[in-house]
Amino acid sequence: MLEVYRHRASSAVTHPVTLALGAAFGLGGIIIAVTGGNPFAAFSDMLLGAFTGSGLRNTLGRSIPIVAMALAVSLAFRAGILNLGGEGQMLMGALTGTMIAITVPGPGYVVVPLALIGGALVGAAWALLSALGQTRVGVPLLITSLLLNYVARSITSYLVRFPFGEPGAAFATTSPVPPTARIPKMELLGMGRMSISLVFVLALVILLAVAYRRTVVGYESEMIGLSGPFSRYGGVNVERHTVAIMAAAGAIGGLVGTHLVTGETYRYIDADMIAQTGFAWTGLMVALLAFNRPLPILAAGILFAGLQIGGFAMERSSGVSWQLAQVIQALVIVALVSRFVVTWKRTGSDGDAPSEANTDPAHVGSV
Amino acid sequence: MLEQLLDASLWASVTRALIPVLLAAIGGMICERAGVFQISLEGMMMAGAFAAVAMAHVAGNVVIGSLAAATAAVALALILAFGAVSRKGNPIVLGVAINILAVGLTSFLLPQLFGVRGTFQPAGGVRITRIPVPGLSEIPFVGPVLFNMSALGYAALILIPATWFFLFRTQVGLRLRGVGERPLAAETLGVSPTRYKYLAVVASGVLAGLAGAQLSLGNVGVFAENMSSGRGWIAVVAVLLGRAHPVGVLGACLLFGFAEAFGFRLQGQGMAVQVTDALPFVVTLAALVLARKRFTRLLDLTAGNV
Amino acid sequence: MTVELELRGITKRFPGVLACDRIDLTVRAGEIHCIVGENGAGKTTLMSVLYGLIQPDEGEIVVRGERTRIGSPLEAISLGLGMVHQAFKLFPTLTVTENVVFRQEPARLGIIDRKAAVGRVHHLAQAYGLSVDPRATVESLPVGVLQRVEIIKALYREASVLILDEPTAVLTPQERDRLFEVMRRLRDAGRTILFITHKLGEVMAVADRITVLRQGRAVAELDPGATTPAEISRHMTGRDVAPVRRGADEPVGDPVLSIRDLEVEGAHGLATVRGVSLDVRASEIVGIAAVAGNGQSELIEAIVGLRSVRAGHINLGDVDVTHAAVAMRRRAGLSYIPEDRHRVGTAAAATVAQNLLMGYQRSAELGGGRWLLPAVVDRHARDLCDRFSIRAPDTGAAAGTLSGGNLQRLVVAREMSHDSRLLIAEQPTRGVDIGAIAFIHNQILEAKRRGRAVLLVSAELTEIQALSSRILVMFEGRIVADLDPDAVDEAEIGLHMTGGASVGA
Repeated sequence: MLEVYRHRASSAVTHPVTLALGAAFGLGGIIIAVTGGNPFAAFSDMLLGAFTGSGLRNTLGRSIPIVAMALAVSLAFRAGILNLGGEGQMLMGALTGTMIAITVPGPGYVVVPLALIGGALVGAAWALLSALGQTRVGVPLLITSLLLNYVARSITSYLVRFPFGEPGAAFATTSPVPPTARIPKMELLGMGRMSISLVFVLALVILLAVAYRRTVVGYESEMIGLSGPFSRYGGVNVERHTVAIMAAAGAIGGLVGTHLVTGETYRYIDADMIAQTGFAWTGLMVALLAFNRPLPILAAGILFAGLQIGGFAMERSSGVSWQLAQVIQALVIVALVSRFVVTWKRTGSDGDAPSEANTDPAHVGSV
Repeated sequence: MLEQLLDASLWASVTRALIPVLLAAIGGMICERAGVFQISLEGMMMAGAFAAVAMAHVAGNVVIGSLAAATAAVALALILAFGAVSRKGNPIVLGVAINILAVGLTSFLLPQLFGVRGTFQPAGGVRITRIPVPGLSEIPFVGPVLFNMSALGYAALILIPATWFFLFRTQVGLRLRGVGERPLAAETLGVSPTRYKYLAVVASGVLAGLAGAQLSLGNVGVFAENMSSGRGWIAVVAVLLGRAHPVGVLGACLLFGFAEAFGFRLQGQGMAVQVTDALPFVVTLAALVLARKRFTRLLDLTAGNV
Repeated sequence: MTVELELRGITKRFPGVLACDRIDLTVRAGEIHCIVGENGAGKTTLMSVLYGLIQPDEGEIVVRGERTRIGSPLEAISLGLGMVHQAFKLFPTLTVTENVVFRQEPARLGIIDRKAAVGRVHHLAQAYGLSVDPRATVESLPVGVLQRVEIIKALYREASVLILDEPTAVLTPQERDRLFEVMRRLRDAGRTILFITHKLGEVMAVADRITVLRQGRAVAELDPGATTPAEISRHMTGRDVAPVRRGADEPVGDPVLSIRDLEVEGAHGLATVRGVSLDVRASEIVGIAAVAGNGQSELIEAIVGLRSVRAGHINLGDVDVTHAAVAMRRRAGLSYIPEDRHRVGTAAAATVAQNLLMGYQRSAELGGGRWLLPAVVDRHARDLCDRFSIRAPDTGAAAGTLSGGNLQRLVVAREMSHDSRLLIAEQPTRGVDIGAIAFIHNQILEAKRRGRAVLLVSAELTEIQALSSRILVMFEGRIVADLDPDAVDEAEIGLHMTGGASVGA
């Protein structure tokens, strides 16, 4: 996985990420112009809306789920585990955490951690379905994790509509999370109130940065991502890593889901939460853009959160629909993957043998 | 239960549910044979569904709408072809990005162009209509099931034997299979892998775009955000389960079509829509588990050999 | 006889290696011309130049009197050259006929005329005694038949010159004899054959002319009627036949590796290791000689823990490791130089330092199991690069940028630096330059002197004979002979390897 994005050190201007961002914004501008808007006005509204005044606070708030989901993706992608199930892991965890917060009585310092743990456990369990499906049954995780997103949508929708639904509500929602069971807020640098989840996300960034660079598990999982056969040869237990990493990624998904309800909206509203699953995909793109490295993930996560918050501002003032932000994000990834690829050339042939490879390159995705 | 199985109207709704998935899956199968891992069917279907409704609205004509659907999806397909074939980028990452791009583009353009959110119906309610085959459609059971479909429906069914003939009996088909299996060996013999892979990806774009047109202009008559709702992914699974063979792919698609139609039937009998929506995915997952021995090469890919 | 093909002054340099050094070669029409030389002599590079796979730095190619530039295999094919590679370039799921006619299909309106295609393949097969079922799927065929398919493919493309690159490496003796028969028929029908090998017996059996390459130079052109194997060998090695001696054997110690009645399944659920028992003792190098595909790879995979065991026992010292995980076996004192250094032995995208760490990431000297400090890892890597003369730009460079010889040094450095009590070395010198070969051989002998047990698997009989204290011969999944390297010659080992001793004697 990693090798796709590896690149040679180069100056900031010719850095692949810079070029990809430039290309995506350029294309985004063209799209605005073609659909009848003014790209310069739109982009300046976006920038101001994202990083000035209350916009900055909103951007940071929105970066909580995005950065956390990106960290979850980076765990898996670094190890070559193609987990596309962030959506489902989030939803299942969110509903569990919400229901614990609503139903369990007691003081906040008991209920809030309990809700978070419950959300994490169910998110992990949901991710384990795909992990064990691959390691025990032999069904590709890439496919099952994705299909399970749709199943999770159905399950949560059903539960919120029927057994857990607020009686008499016009739309599918749970009753509100009691004030004592909500994730607390803090004052942030005079910008206003901010969920303390931000602190935990920052801690997770640092934790993973250390784990990736300085621990044996970090090394082993990176090697699995670079070459499965090589890792097995060196005694790395690929199956155990797959299971553990998926559990961790699912747990983060569950935590994010729980945060979104008990820390932000205070109600699990079905339609709302399905819209929020977009964070899973934004997180995935952030992880790709940051080459799965935690500190760059933080930066890229804030950037993408800003794009979305700025998008709302742009829509209000320039009338350009905020979904342009999503278009630009996807274009960044397309540009990055298409343009900047290292082609590993085996330099120096094998003595007698010419450098002509005797097998075709890894055949991608055959049955 | 048995009565329901024999019910012609159930089977007619099976064919209806089947057609979009089948069209997309045939495209995916051609890519698979050419050695391109194609997981952007979902996004291309979405783009096709939107473009079909948009152009049918502007032109008041479903043929133009369908052509626009194919064109829009091919545009996305070319991103995959350029990125994965010419630039040797990771096809899985590109596929995911294309899917996100399609969702973003359609939900951006819907308010931007038509000033609405959520759903959009083309002016005059134009839609792809069914064309009953005179005489044949009167046959009990078989008539309503097989001879009362849209033009795209007939096309999809004819494409099954046609694709088989193309892949296994023609020069281009043979070379395409060779390219998919060992591109360097094919190149040594003078067959350009790039050209054949582009051909396959563009073909999958045309077919997935038409699948989208059938979905929006045919099955429902409106465009709705996220309306492909996983059908493109089911098509990807159908290619895997059917081992990229036309008969196998048709079989897998039939299974999903049946699950969807049966879900509708249960919904009619009062079962919650949230439950019946999950049915095709649950069936798909079950089929994957039952057919598990077949995915060793894809597993190699996902277990760290990307 | 007319001259079919002439190479003049072909020179090809790779970084650090002069693979071909002003090679001249003249091939007459209708002869079987052998190109012989040791590994690394430049045979395969020369043939790749001829087939358009790589471009020479200097020199020219003359085909039937015309100077040409061969820019690609396609141009080579159109000039009437056909190549049968060591690793076949066939499409596994396609039929024999589809493979043969690929891109030159008989067709009408784009639709393949299958009857005509099958007919032509059948006809070619018949004409040269290349029996093969035109409708069979290639992946279902044994290697010997695949080779025939490759030959038919070349003939279908009207090759007048056939290049066979080490064609006998994968063949049983019977298949080899049939191949020689086919080669003679082709020659009698006027085709020219370039036969690349390093086996002298084969050269004497079929050659009309012999060109010997040594260290990138053509050092002799010989007539088989007027030469002897000893003379050819002298030209190949540049000295009188006096193979590297391993020196006096130390007294051997206790068994380090003990295997009893081992059975291992192969790819298709068939037993490929069928009741193997062996011991490797301290201060002993046990060599396993076998033709490719006789179960030796599966045996090694079972010992190192990469393939599960159906029956029997594997003991490392006192520890039963029959079903133990790879990491456990490594802790119990196993090091392994694998056959496939690109896919298994290294990760091309990982750094040199990361590659040098694998297998020992939890060892005490590197941090003890949890932490792995970049500074420690880097120091470890630099230390090994110095001690084993690995030429890498820096320890942060991707392993994929190293040359073949340096990459193998990296693997050897990693596996030998921890001084495990058991070393398994599988084809340790395949495809590396002469300098690296000597280095690796000395490392292996040194390990034995330090009292380590070594299990060596090699397709090179000279290597096996030069290094081993004992030679075990594997044939069809069983150990069929236990030989004293000083008491046998290559011919006798070869006889055992082909099952000939039990049948013929």
